[in-house]
Amino acid sequence: MDLNERLFIIVPLISLLCNAFLFVAVLSAKKNRLVYAFIAMLGGFTIWCSGSLFMRMMLAPGPDFWYQVSIAGIFLVPVLLYNFIYCFVEVRGQFIRIALFIIWTPLILMNLFNVFITDPHMVVENGERRFVYGISPWIVVPVLLAVATLWGAWRLSVRAVREGRVALSSFRPLIIGTAVMFVGTMTAALPQMVSLPVDTFVCGINAICLYYTLHKKRLVQLQNLFSNGTSYLLSVIFSVLLMQICYDRVEQLCYRFFPGGVYWGLALALFFSLSTVCFYLVIRLLMKNLFVKPQENRQDRLRKFSAAVNKSLALDDILALYRDFLQETVPGKTARIFLLDKQKGEYRAVTSTNASLAMNDVLTLDNPVVKLLRQNGNGIRYSDIQRTRTYRSMWESEKLRFQQLRVCYLLPVICDDELTAITLFSDAGSDEKQAGLRTEQISFLESGAAMLSMALKNATLYQDIQNKANRDAMTGLYNRSYFTEHLRRDFETCSHAEITLLLISFDDFSLYNELYGIQEGDLILKEYGMCLEALVGSRGTVARYGGKEFAVSFPFCTAAVAENCAASMQEWLKAKTAGNGSRPHKFLTFSAGISSYPYSAATADQLLSYANMALFSAKSSGKNKIIVYTPSSPESISIQSSQARRKLVDNCAATIYALTAAIDAKDHYTFNHSKNVAEYASALAAAIPLDADHIEIVRQAGLLHDIGKIGIPESILSKTGKLTDEEYEIMKQHVEGSIAMIKYLPSLDYVIPTAIGHHERWDGKGYPRGLVGEQNPIAARCLVIADSFDAMTSRRSYREAMSVEQALAEIRRNLGTQFDPKLGALFIELVESGKIALQK
Amino acid sequence: MTFEEKLKNTAPGDIWAEYCGFLDLSLQEYMEIQERLLMEQIHLMADCALGQRFFEGNVPRSVDEFRRQVPLTSFSDYADILLTKREEMLPGKPVVWLKTTWEGGDTPAKWAPYTEAMLETYKRNILGALLLATSTGRGKFKVRPGAKVLYSLAPMPYATGLFPELIDDEISLQFLPSVREARKLSFGQQARKGYRLAMQSGMNLFFGMSSVLYGTTRSLDTLANSSDRGGFRSFLRMSPRMLWRAARASYRCRRDNTPLRPKDLFALDGFVCVGTDTNLYRDELTEAWGIRPMELAGGTEPSCMGTETWSKNGLVFFPDACFYEFIPEQEMLQSLRDPSYQPRTYLINELVAGQKYELVITVLKGGAFMRYRVGDVYRCLRLKNPQDRLDLPQFEYVDRIPTVIDIAGFTRITEREIQKVIEISCLPVGEWLAAKEYDETGHSYLHIYLELKPDSRQSLILSQKLLQEHFSAYFRFYDGDYGDLKRLLGIDPLKVTMLPSGTIARYEAERGQELFRVGAPQEAILDLLRMCGLEKEE
Repeated sequence: MDLNERLFIIVPLISLLCNAFLFVAVLSAKKNRLVYAFIAMLGGFTIWCSGSLFMRMMLAPGPDFWYQVSIAGIFLVPVLLYNFIYCFVEVRGQFIRIALFIIWTPLILMNLFNVFITDPHMVVENGERRFVYGISPWIVVPVLLAVATLWGAWRLSVRAVREGRVALSSFRPLIIGTAVMFVGTMTAALPQMVSLPVDTFVCGINAICLYYTLHKKRLVQLQNLFSNGTSYLLSVIFSVLLMQICYDRVEQLCYRFFPGGVYWGLALALFFSLSTVCFYLVIRLLMKNLFVKPQENRQDRLRKFSAAVNKSLALDDILALYRDFLQETVPGKTARIFLLDKQKGEYRAVTSTNASLAMNDVLTLDNPVVKLLRQNGNGIRYSDIQRTRTYRSMWESEKLRFQQLRVCYLLPVICDDELTAITLFSDAGSDEKQAGLRTEQISFLESGAAMLSMALKNATLYQDIQNKANRDAMTGLYNRSYFTEHLRRDFETCSHAEITLLLISFDDFSLYNELYGIQEGDLILKEYGMCLEALVGSRGTVARYGGKEFAVSFPFCTAAVAENCAASMQEWLKAKTAGNGSRPHKFLTFSAGISSYPYSAATADQLLSYANMALFSAKSSGKNKIIVYTPSSPESISIQSSQARRKLVDNCAATIYALTAAIDAKDHYTFNHSKNVAEYASALAAAIPLDADHIEIVRQAGLLHDIGKIGIPESILSKTGKLTDEEYEIMKQHVEGSIAMIKYLPSLDYVIPTAIGHHERWDGKGYPRGLVGEQNPIAARCLVIADSFDAMTSRRSYREAMSVEQALAEIRRNLGTQFDPKLGALFIELVESGKIALQK
Repeated sequence: MTFEEKLKNTAPGDIWAEYCGFLDLSLQEYMEIQERLLMEQIHLMADCALGQRFFEGNVPRSVDEFRRQVPLTSFSDYADILLTKREEMLPGKPVVWLKTTWEGGDTPAKWAPYTEAMLETYKRNILGALLLATSTGRGKFKVRPGAKVLYSLAPMPYATGLFPELIDDEISLQFLPSVREARKLSFGQQARKGYRLAMQSGMNLFFGMSSVLYGTTRSLDTLANSSDRGGFRSFLRMSPRMLWRAARASYRCRRDNTPLRPKDLFALDGFVCVGTDTNLYRDELTEAWGIRPMELAGGTEPSCMGTETWSKNGLVFFPDACFYEFIPEQEMLQSLRDPSYQPRTYLINELVAGQKYELVITVLKGGAFMRYRVGDVYRCLRLKNPQDRLDLPQFEYVDRIPTVIDIAGFTRITEREIQKVIEISCLPVGEWLAAKEYDETGHSYLHIYLELKPDSRQSLILSQKLLQEHFSAYFRFYDGDYGDLKRLLGIDPLKVTMLPSGTIARYEAERGQELFRVGAPQEAILDLLRMCGLEKEE
């Protein structure tokens, strides 16, 4: 067999193999109209090539039959190509397509009767087999029809491109394939090319081009080729080919080694069987490595990633896993991961596949790209975003940042309709050909993102729960347990530097609550916490350490920082509680204790303990102070504090005496009055009965309840006539005056709730707070009755004293309006029974 | 990727979406873009001295705050910065400064800065307009690289000169004459040369001022047959296609005894016109050129602001060029009467179809103008267009505000300018009124109704014709753009009517209302003429 004859077998064989190969690949793909059209066209090509090949090989039933098959294939190609393009461009209206099928069918049948190509037969010239034929004038009909059909296909393509249904670029392989086939088929008719199998060669090329077109459309994948069936088929084909090429030589060898000819048939069969098995194994291995291995690798990576992210609940770990996954999947690209920060309402860059990049980028929630990703749900190329209407609403700074980052692709991570994270992929180099991501990369990344979304959701949920457990519900600050742990961590971090602890405690906070209500107390705690957190900022960690206590750790800061911070908060609180025209002045201060490492403390425990001691020292030395713990005499503070406390308690009686003496000097009536009220009220309290401590409070409150009168002008105090409205208003201020004075008496502040309520009324019409009924503490209600009784039974410059009966009658008359009905009745009973005697 | 590369490599649907996708916006989406870009502009303004001048330390945090806080402005509010080109005081660094006449201003010209972002937006929008100009429906356009463009608009530093400069990098269009050559020519020379080149090699796109287009169309027959064509030599210069067309057109015109029309010679893909009188000429231009001209809206301060669509029956404003506010006609008139009155403005989603509005713009992307009264009046034609599947309001350019008389888009005449001309003419003119009127051919002209001072001796010898010639000469001397009218369009856009002394005063006394010196309503002028026994010429 000469070279030319071999070419005529090998080239059609290769073309046939290509077509068969693709045929099998497409058969296993998901079918749609377009894939069916492609299968039909491959069928056409296969008929053409196989006819040509088998004709040359003189296979049974003979060259005439295979000639007819080959020609039928050629005749089918134009109409099948039209059909393929018709499906590819998704055009409507089937009239022309159906008409073409109707016209071509009789032409193909007519060709069986050699109407167009006459007398085809094989000749042998100089030992070379050639196929000769004549051409009838009727050949013009199928040629013109083929040209018209191809022209129609061209028109369909042009219209589709113009109308924007198909991009010109996706037509490129189609055009190249068809053009090559057209030129090849034409040149086959040239005398110079007659001896070459050009037509079947271009047929194979065209099939590959068309396959590429569909591959780009992601309709068929070569991976589908991997199956046992395909491997068997191919190994059989190769074995047959091998047999055809080397049968003679193998036969000779057989005769040589088995001269008797007894077993040569068996040996031959064995040889070709073994070769088939070898072919099968090699093909299978090759196909696996070519088509399946990369896919398996990817699936394996995805599986591992899924398992790893689902194991962890720590957000940082999950992000690190995702970062590694991205590094492996898209090695040439830089990926930045932005995570939703719900509190700040933005997506903040948290990690990147390039560790050298600064993570300070932020995507705001109203960024149009974020909105687009949320709506779209899938990844999107930045070049596609530039074509959307969304791009128009982007700020120039946003566009510029995307340009600077060389963003090529954006991948959203969506969980439960919430966009939880965004991954931006950037091109590292400037090579435009390398820009962007490949289709299979994108689908792989999308799978990864889907897995990440679930893991992120779990981690975020866990973090939320953890966060809630670590935070104080009212202020939103960290709670004591978290802070203690955090302080230890900070301490370890700062072991070679410095760290300061600030403890803050409100002075007389229970009093504040009693005076202004618990709601007001909660409000000031919240506001104070917010302000403190804002003031501290990133310098430290703020926590609500107790009911009325706050703690701040200042890593890498000296005590001066904490002292400044406490001083600023003092200013803030002063401004916050200061009164103005519409708002009354409120009484609230705080004390602060500060300790620092390594200046005073040596361990985290010491830091806490010394700060506590400093705080206690501030409290016991008059409150409203900031004290920094000094290491000179650590014990002195505590000793001094306890002594001071005892001393202050001992001093109480003396202080009360001093104050009442001051009143006596100014207004003798008030001095006596206070003593009387103290006696009456304590007697009433004892009769209720209240406990001894409480009775003592009532007594002390009675003594001090009017000390505010020191601040009232003497002209008003000793006025004989009726007070004017203005004078009465001034007179009313003595209550607040009393409180203001008692407040500065250490250890006597507990009498304030009692003393402040001695002008309140049962019906709520009293002053200064207008408390109703039992809103006024019981001790204060005792004081109200005692105060009124003494006032009525005392002689004043502007009126005579009332008799006891008259005074009791007055009390009785005002039970339920001015006085607590039960306490009033009890008081009357006590006086009438003589248990309370009239004081002089 | 340049526009030309996109035309070659990208699906037409994608190109359409990129440049004309704004036409698919719902009104709500449109407003979201407007508001977001306005907030960007506020941020930019807050960081510059110009913005601080208007914000006075309180940076608006929302669109409402912005509209409450910033007053309506005119060029005089920016003149000290823009005329001296103090770039450091602006919200963005200007790349180019464009010039236009400052009607009624202290200086003849005003300047507007363009930042890089503004130019990018301008480019994108003008390319969108180019697609629309050649479109026959949504997504159906025909823009070819290498297309021949007769560009008959004023060159740089005027706003219209920016188009060829900007798209030069995007698509290789063949301008007639080339951009470089056009820079050396006057506007008139450019138009004539362009037309001659178009006659030789044909043209695919025509950009021009409506009035010039109209003038060209009317004189085409003359031009085509005039000696200017260069006789036989000009035939030699013609491309075979143009030669064929010219011969065919000539034969048909002679056979049918009809004048030569532009459509006989040219098959345009796109026909774009700008200028104030577009609506007047549009039907005739359509008939002559065989394609309906598409109008663009814009100006020096607002850049390319709006475009018509494929149906060419209403302007749509680009959402990213400016932030638009609209003053209703009544409010506008009241503010013209009482300059201290702050008229109310409405946003684009608050308009009423059929109403006339004065446009107020805030230039986006680092532009200098905030709540700026451009001086243009638009009519809101419709709030949506179901036929074209548009959910956006469409507009029609009406005219300049009544106190500015725009003649053929060339010159803008104000009270101050007329007063100046009267002063320098030293003619004994007493009271006067000026109005924009139209002649029988549809051309606009300036009509001055004046009274001569009774005590002047000159008054006795001055005839209406003499006055007209006098004023015409002084207007040409005082206003270069006015001079171009005569030169380019062959029109004398001035007419003078003498009124008996005291007529205007009598009218005002009778009606108890002062008349606008410029832009008085036509009904008032008719009454005035009737009062002194004159009839208005139709």
